[in-house]
Amino acid sequence: MAVLPISDLLIWSFAGVLFGSLISWIPGFHIYNIIALLVAVFGVGELMPVQAFPFFAVGAIVAYAYVSAISSVYFSVADESAVFLLFPTQRYLLLGRGHEAVLLYLIGAVAGTLILVFSMLFIFPKVLPPIYQATSPYITYFLTAIVLFMFMSEWPKEGDRGKTVRERLWLAWRQILGGIFVFFLSGILGFIVMNTNILPTTSAYTRLTPMFIGFFGMSWVILNILSNPPMLPQKPEDKVESSIYNTLKASFGGALGGTIAAVYPIITGGMGALVAGHMTSQRGDDAFIISQGVNRVLYYVGAFSLLFLPNLRLTRGAGAWLVSSLYTPKSYSEYIAAVGVILLASGISFLFTYGLSKIIARSFNVMHTKKVSYFVAAVLVAISYLLTGWMGVVVLFVSTAIGLMAAAFNTRRSYCLGGLILPVLISMTGHTGAFMHLLGLG
Amino acid sequence: MRGFTHYISGLAAVTFFPSLVADLRMGILVPVIAAAAAYFPDFVDFKFGKFFARRDYEIDPAPWDEKKHYAPKLVKIKDLSEKNRYQFFAIEGVVEEILTKGSGTMSYEVFDEKGNVETVMEEYNTIVFTLSDGTGKITVEAFGDDYEIFEEEFGQIEEGKKMLVFGYVDIDPDGSLRFIVSDAPHPQGIADTIADAIEKAYEEGEKIVKIHNIRLPGDVYRRFWVHLDPPRREVRVEMGPIVTPGGVAIGGEPPEYRKFGIARVNVPFIKTYPKPTRIDSFSGPEIAFRRTKHQGKTVVKDRFLPWHHGFSHSMTMGVIIGIFVFLFAKLFGYSHATDLALASMIGQWLHVFEDQLGFMGSNLFPPITKDVIPGFKLGESGSGLTNFSTAWLMIALMIWNFNRFTDPRPIPIGDAKLLLYLIWPSMIGFGIAIAKSFKLRKEIAKLMDYYTNLEAFEELEEVGGI
Repeated sequence: MAVLPISDLLIWSFAGVLFGSLISWIPGFHIYNIIALLVAVFGVGELMPVQAFPFFAVGAIVAYAYVSAISSVYFSVADESAVFLLFPTQRYLLLGRGHEAVLLYLIGAVAGTLILVFSMLFIFPKVLPPIYQATSPYITYFLTAIVLFMFMSEWPKEGDRGKTVRERLWLAWRQILGGIFVFFLSGILGFIVMNTNILPTTSAYTRLTPMFIGFFGMSWVILNILSNPPMLPQKPEDKVESSIYNTLKASFGGALGGTIAAVYPIITGGMGALVAGHMTSQRGDDAFIISQGVNRVLYYVGAFSLLFLPNLRLTRGAGAWLVSSLYTPKSYSEYIAAVGVILLASGISFLFTYGLSKIIARSFNVMHTKKVSYFVAAVLVAISYLLTGWMGVVVLFVSTAIGLMAAAFNTRRSYCLGGLILPVLISMTGHTGAFMHLLGLG
Repeated sequence: MRGFTHYISGLAAVTFFPSLVADLRMGILVPVIAAAAAYFPDFVDFKFGKFFARRDYEIDPAPWDEKKHYAPKLVKIKDLSEKNRYQFFAIEGVVEEILTKGSGTMSYEVFDEKGNVETVMEEYNTIVFTLSDGTGKITVEAFGDDYEIFEEEFGQIEEGKKMLVFGYVDIDPDGSLRFIVSDAPHPQGIADTIADAIEKAYEEGEKIVKIHNIRLPGDVYRRFWVHLDPPRREVRVEMGPIVTPGGVAIGGEPPEYRKFGIARVNVPFIKTYPKPTRIDSFSGPEIAFRRTKHQGKTVVKDRFLPWHHGFSHSMTMGVIIGIFVFLFAKLFGYSHATDLALASMIGQWLHVFEDQLGFMGSNLFPPITKDVIPGFKLGESGSGLTNFSTAWLMIALMIWNFNRFTDPRPIPIGDAKLLLYLIWPSMIGFGIAIAKSFKLRKEIAKLMDYYTNLEAFEELEEVGGI
């Protein structure tokens, strides 16, 4: 299949950035879900040439990696309750420093883009293939190790104030046990979704979508509605409190975590960040937000970019799987073009995110998050229905309940990744049949 | 070192055994036990040990509201007593009688960075009234900066007005309770209790103090520092700003007149680490004060987190883990039980060794050794440099071993050359850490100079020289 002329690639990449920018600031929306919906409803090949699809997707994913900062800073739960611990970005919002949090994130995102582009040009083509070849037979080992570490390293947030030893142990362990419970519950749901015909076979590429919308998107939106966060005035000034040292350290940690997550399957950005955070002993809210920016660019854009690398050809992430089902780039010229598109898309996304953050900071209390959340909840149900039918909506409700459980147990939300990790681990170790039998499904 | 650094050392230990690497390649994941063994010392200390640890003194400057799990706790007046002196609470009640309203001059002491005292005189406004909540009544006082904030919040205070007041409990000279309007507990209570614990430890041998942190609404924390000053024989507690769990200060500095608490200690004590103890997010520390000998004199020595780096962090424990893993693996018929047991033991030993690079040290060979062997002081446990250097070294060793034990080799270059390519970032990191550690050692040497002069200090005191 002939490679498209550069002018066409630019147009489609620009369309991708525009598309990604317009939807990525809405809470609960994930670029992979929306691209899947686009493919399912409109198809690719009629409106858009298939060779252009990877570049459209790069533009959209870059935009998502940047613009989603808006939803995570301005439209996430920020209640006063102690039941749920706040993310640093939420604390910034409560202090009227939402725009500063976005700027910190953007610093990270730009650093992440530069690291990614540099790595794509000078490191990935030479270093990644041999390292990947040497370590890829042991991916199950790494994956199991990271999951085990997630459980072992859960920091008990309570327990100190118990009056007796028994009470202290219970307060500490109810959170840890809650996390394990959420992981296995998610895992069982994931196993059922992946291995049974509960969802229509026509939604092969999107069968996990309602589950993930529920775990991370819908549960987030429901918490927004339940918590009724205060709409505090925000300062739209272009000022950040950080240091060069913190920025460099956070960029290094974020890049490390993002790269681990991008290269190895199933390991997500959050898991990569956990590992990298420990490795580099990262501390400080500013450093955390900056590293999130770096991490998400490396994780989302970096993972997708591996699809372009001719001597490695790794398909990482739902976006890459979706695109590769239609067209996989094959030449170095496409790889270099992708590098250019990443730079272009990053520039546009940066300006869009910055401008949007300014506008939102100035008019933060015009529209209440709660109202936006009702609208988003309805859209998420509609997406699930369109992609997977009524059973998809049922899966959405179950996974939403599990996502809410993680919040209620005050445990890591990433335990919901059990929905992906557990069935994959069972499959990798050849126990799918036995597990089906255990659940009474086969 | 941080948890993952230890954990990854266990993962790396496995890769030195060709039989275990072959198992991993076949999808047999049992060797991951070695990583768990490497992390086990911290797991057992932080998930169990800390909750079983004895607490002789429990300092809770701002008890949590039981429902909301943050301070201040909403209390009934009848529930307050002398025991609550300096603790931070909230009371909801009605203004019964305004006793005084006026202004005056107050004087208080402040400390500079070197601990020198300066007396400050300041004009202040004040209001004193009685508050009743149906269970009792208490005298409430707002003065100085707190008065300004109080007036801003409630406007004119009139009899019959209902209000929710924050502040700390104090005791009047006549023994009655008084509630002082503030946004933080008074640090004097913390200083007094620690000083008492040191004195009791001198008499009785050992006292363990648990200091709780101060969690406020919105997942933020009031930071405070405990300075142990052996040459001055003082415990100083400094109340700091409100900070996020990430350590960013977001304001709320207490006014100078209730920022410091200072307590005199009537027995000699020494401090083993040259920095004050900072308490903010996560959980508060435990400090053991133990009677010991220093240069032939009986003194009290502090030990941070006494339940940490004990038996779990010993080489002996590594042997026990090895035996346990061997028996477990044999029981389940795992064919490489010996190698797995050795990898697990080495993983745990690596943990002990890595921690020994820091300050706390460990009791390495119990029951032969009885006390902690001081660490090499190469860097603090939270140092990003040493953590990354160690973790990277382990990653490098894993890649190196995977390559060595695969035929044909995925990376077709010589072992020594590949190892050099892989480990150079760690070598640079360790080099910088060693260079940096000299500065810290200098600080500790300076601290030890203090203690060397301790005897002279006491002699001067006896003859009235100070």
